[in-house]
Amino acid sequence: MKKYDHIVVGSGISGLTMSLLLAMSGNKVLLIEKSPIIGGSLTRFNKRGIPFDTGFHFTGGFHEGGILSDILTLLGLRDSIEPIFLPNSSQNQFIFESHGKRFEHPCGIENIKNSFKGYFPAETSAIDRYFEKVQSVCNRTPSLNLRENAIGPPNLEEDYISLDTVLRKLTPNELLRGLFSGYAMCYGVRPDEISFANHSRMVLSFYESIAFVKDGGDAFVRAFTEKFKDYDIDISCSTYITELADIRDNKVGRFVLNTGEEVLSDACVFTIHPKDILGLLPEKNYSKAFAHRISAFEPSLGLFSAFATFKPGSIDQNPDASIVSIFPDADVNNLLDPAYNGVPALVVVKSPNLGNGGTGKGICIVEPSFGEHVSNWIDSKRGNRPEEYLTYKHNRVEAIKEHLFSVFPEFRETLDFIDAGSMLTFKDYLCSPDGSAYGVKQKMGQFNLIGKLPLHNLFAAGQSSLLPGIIGAMMSSLIVGRAIVGKEHYGKILDGTLCH
Amino acid sequence: MTGQEIIEKTNKVFEESFEIEKERLVPDANIFVDLGLDSLDIVDLIVALQSSFGVKIRNEEKVRDIRTLQDLYQFISSIKNEEGTKNV
Repeated sequence: MKKYDHIVVGSGISGLTMSLLLAMSGNKVLLIEKSPIIGGSLTRFNKRGIPFDTGFHFTGGFHEGGILSDILTLLGLRDSIEPIFLPNSSQNQFIFESHGKRFEHPCGIENIKNSFKGYFPAETSAIDRYFEKVQSVCNRTPSLNLRENAIGPPNLEEDYISLDTVLRKLTPNELLRGLFSGYAMCYGVRPDEISFANHSRMVLSFYESIAFVKDGGDAFVRAFTEKFKDYDIDISCSTYITELADIRDNKVGRFVLNTGEEVLSDACVFTIHPKDILGLLPEKNYSKAFAHRISAFEPSLGLFSAFATFKPGSIDQNPDASIVSIFPDADVNNLLDPAYNGVPALVVVKSPNLGNGGTGKGICIVEPSFGEHVSNWIDSKRGNRPEEYLTYKHNRVEAIKEHLFSVFPEFRETLDFIDAGSMLTFKDYLCSPDGSAYGVKQKMGQFNLIGKLPLHNLFAAGQSSLLPGIIGAMMSSLIVGRAIVGKEHYGKILDGTLCH
Repeated sequence: MTGQEIIEKTNKVFEESFEIEKERLVPDANIFVDLGLDSLDIVDLIVALQSSFGVKIRNEEKVRDIRTLQDLYQFISSIKNEEGTKNV
């Protein structure tokens, strides 16, 4: 029977980070992944020779001294991953159709402030106060400073006030409130449900810089895989745990895998969905209160994605990489409400990553989606979905096209829609139980599943544990990983990388 | 909400969510030593109390000071009172 120091379950960005961190502290690690390939939401797919992103499109925090930059430096990966910044403010736009307004969104807090003050000259003090508040939350969140080897639980006043409440106190201008809430699509929670603190922790990195990544999520997978070669890490795909065995003193001794193999390990970290973790634990090892808490987590926003490419010979009139968020309504609460039945918001993402030897360009268009949209076919399997579902998908793509063409008429002639993915597509391909884009919805006052589990050599990390997105997922692994390897080992890694 | 109601409702959470026998739920019972909860159970306890009492409980110092059931009754009572004042 093989023996490891740690098993890491799930190979998305959190599992990759966790595996590397544990191995850097001298541990022998087994990383297991249910899918046939590693990467989770980082994986891209190719269609007609063009790479399309599934879960990871762009990120903040990549500038010098930014949080993502620091995390990658800590892991020794900073030079292996190349950000592609958006230097012009026109490359990141928010359009509010209800008001017929288009806003360019520059990077850098001072630039954004100036730009917003230009758009809203009567709101200069609200704008200043909003950005002060965002920065203040982040300054008082110790875990956001990787150089400090100290982590306190985030427990600020702002953790118990919603984004919506703060914005309503700041300004009566609904358009400005909509603009401040615009990045809600990047964490999948309504402004009246997310705490102002978590909103701030998520958006500050976007405000500082926005970048695509050369080769998208594949670049992360490649960089980690390459780095793993320097350490004692085994990877096993199409593999998952079927039984936690030899439980003594609240600790699991033996891990039974679906492959029939059994492994011994001192500890195991799950970076998968909390509900999948609950499903693995033997019932007698947790309280009903624990089960209720986990079962009560709600899914975050899901995405319906349409994938298009420029027709051969057609000219892209705005050739730069860009992100355009199109909101039919300034009330983001409304747009992210499952009960909303108006025209959905659209985010149009034109990646700088080209296919077909540099000639093929893809566009990914995403709309908010909710479990309710696909609940009729939830039990159907990939490749064998009912006709009704295919009609749903077809109609949704047609609606996206019409919405998109109303904003960008030139796309009617130049774009060819070649594929689409619903929440069920994401559910199946990314092994996510509800197909949501950001795991569990991060509701204000919620107690997430993070760190030690009821069986004491099992741990939870991942985007549902802390904050959504690539940065939140990596941070969760650093926080939980640091608790596992101990302050001293973590300090040594810090000294050798960020603080040398 | 009366003190007795708070005691009954709190005890019900221990009985139903942690399967602890009624007889053991005496005010002096230490939640950790006598009732066998560990520090991880506290989060689940808070979540269960939140839904049972319809209150918001923060993960703060005051929670970490709770040792006995009596401490917990007083803590809930103080939260309920604060809420009452806010609503006035």
